[in-house]
Amino acid sequence: MLVLKNLLRRRVRTALSVLGITIGIAAIVAFHAVGRGFRHTLDRLFRETGAEMLVVNRLMKDPAFSRVKKDEQDFIRGLPQVEHLSGGTFTLASPRGLRITGRMDMLLVWGRTPGDRLIQKFRKRMEGRVIENDREIMVGKMAAQGLGIGEGGELGLFGRTFRVVGVYESGIQLENAGAIVANSVVQEELNIGESVAMAFIYLRPGADAGEFRKAVEARFPHLQAIRTEEFTNYYDQLQYIDWFVWIISLVSVVVGGLGVLNTMLMSVSERTREIGTLRAVGWSRGRVLRLILSEGLLISAVGGLAGLGAGVGGAETLILWAPQGLSTRYSALLFGQAFGVAVLLGFLGALYPAWQASRLSPIEALKYE
Amino acid sequence: MSSAPAVRTVELVKRYEGGEITALDGVSVEIARGEFFCIMGPSGSGKSTFLNLVGALDVPTSGEVFLDGRALSREPDLDRVRAREVGFIFQLHNLIPTLTSLENVEIPMLGLGVRRAERRRRAGELLESVGLGHRTGSVATKLSGGERQRVSIARALANRPGLILADEPTGDVDSRTGEQIMECIHAARRESGATLVVVTHNPDVARGADRTLHMKDGRFA
Repeated sequence: MLVLKNLLRRRVRTALSVLGITIGIAAIVAFHAVGRGFRHTLDRLFRETGAEMLVVNRLMKDPAFSRVKKDEQDFIRGLPQVEHLSGGTFTLASPRGLRITGRMDMLLVWGRTPGDRLIQKFRKRMEGRVIENDREIMVGKMAAQGLGIGEGGELGLFGRTFRVVGVYESGIQLENAGAIVANSVVQEELNIGESVAMAFIYLRPGADAGEFRKAVEARFPHLQAIRTEEFTNYYDQLQYIDWFVWIISLVSVVVGGLGVLNTMLMSVSERTREIGTLRAVGWSRGRVLRLILSEGLLISAVGGLAGLGAGVGGAETLILWAPQGLSTRYSALLFGQAFGVAVLLGFLGALYPAWQASRLSPIEALKYE
Repeated sequence: MSSAPAVRTVELVKRYEGGEITALDGVSVEIARGEFFCIMGPSGSGKSTFLNLVGALDVPTSGEVFLDGRALSREPDLDRVRAREVGFIFQLHNLIPTLTSLENVEIPMLGLGVRRAERRRRAGELLESVGLGHRTGSVATKLSGGERQRVSIARALANRPGLILADEPTGDVDSRTGEQIMECIHAARRESGATLVVVTHNPDVARGADRTLHMKDGRFA
């Protein structure tokens, strides 16, 4: 009864405090949803290759700079545990004519060996066929729409012209918004000889992944053999993204918390006489403390719930303007954590004002003008 | 029920500002159960200080207050004493402006954890008894000065206290409304059998008191 009425007596001030919390929680939800979406997309990207292991360069914690040389690939191919090795490369390109509203005019170009099993999965959902040589390109559906091209068309890329032999559809945005050419095209463009960025390893049935790892890393200490599902742990930049997301969230959250603190301090100061009355009619310090804390918690709970909604809206808007291939990912845990942060903020922001109110002597408070 | 007086004070002293100001200077008095006890005196004579000490709103510098024979200095929880045993009526009524009459009367019951249905019922009856049964849903700011004071009388009675303390209860209203308020207080006292201690400047308010003492410079004259 008192909690709600106290908050509603200064509607604008209460609304601004709620807004502060809403923005803080929305920032947490939105940035984490995009960050987790990116991580999830990468996870799927590598899992769907069907390879059990990846070999990357330990010295380059970003796959864009990772190199596995030709002799290293040959050695790995020859290991008894290995059934097949597929080399993969990638780069970003700016093809002529690419215009996708609101997005960066870039195309993620994947290098694959023509005919290799790594590109066979695209056969299931595509118009046309997979690439067979270095003059051909297959394009993801989203990229094809952006480029306004289809099967049988041509695409200017890296200063040469490729024949579009297929348009594929993938559940992974990074692929859907990209294109696939022969590894040799990307290798030539990046001037990396016959190196690949990473090697996808298909192990023989019953082969020991641990033995494989030891064999690779003993022979080439600068290489790292990891399980496919461990890729996001290897990729250090994801950790930076996580840190960035947390720092932005933290700043937003601190601002929201200060809003609650300010509101509750002013509210307690304005109601000194009333608090004196409550104490005079027998309210204990604890009860006054709980009243003020409840007001802070209500502000933060409402702001938190609004923040969850605003966060989802914000994340979906964010990816509309972000480079293609990003997606969002939500979980009950994320919502729970964000709401928990909101409640904690309300509690912390109201704690000092509540303590201050509870310390008021009834007689002094009643005399307060 | 004990045979002790409702209120007994022994050598009650209250000093402020490090002892430089003496508000009460050794006041000893006994107030019988059910008595209408009136204290008159000029401003600054110590009347309100006396009331605050008796009502456990403040603690004396020295001396003792006994309520029903129990020393307040030995009470572990003065909040509970105020909630259960004392009903305050202030000059400025001190209602919570955003709450309705009914909710204002419920406030002391909240302090004792009375259940909602019981609070509502009792608050409604009390407002009816002070002639405000038709204004239960009105917020305090929409009430006249006299109505507000009557709500504060109902609030003072909410937990059925044995002691009602009124500090200039008619100080903020005209004389006619003042008479109505005092009628209301007396009716409530008759109904509850509570002891009534009133502090006032106004001789009309003191009319009908079982005993009236005058206070000057922190002592009863």
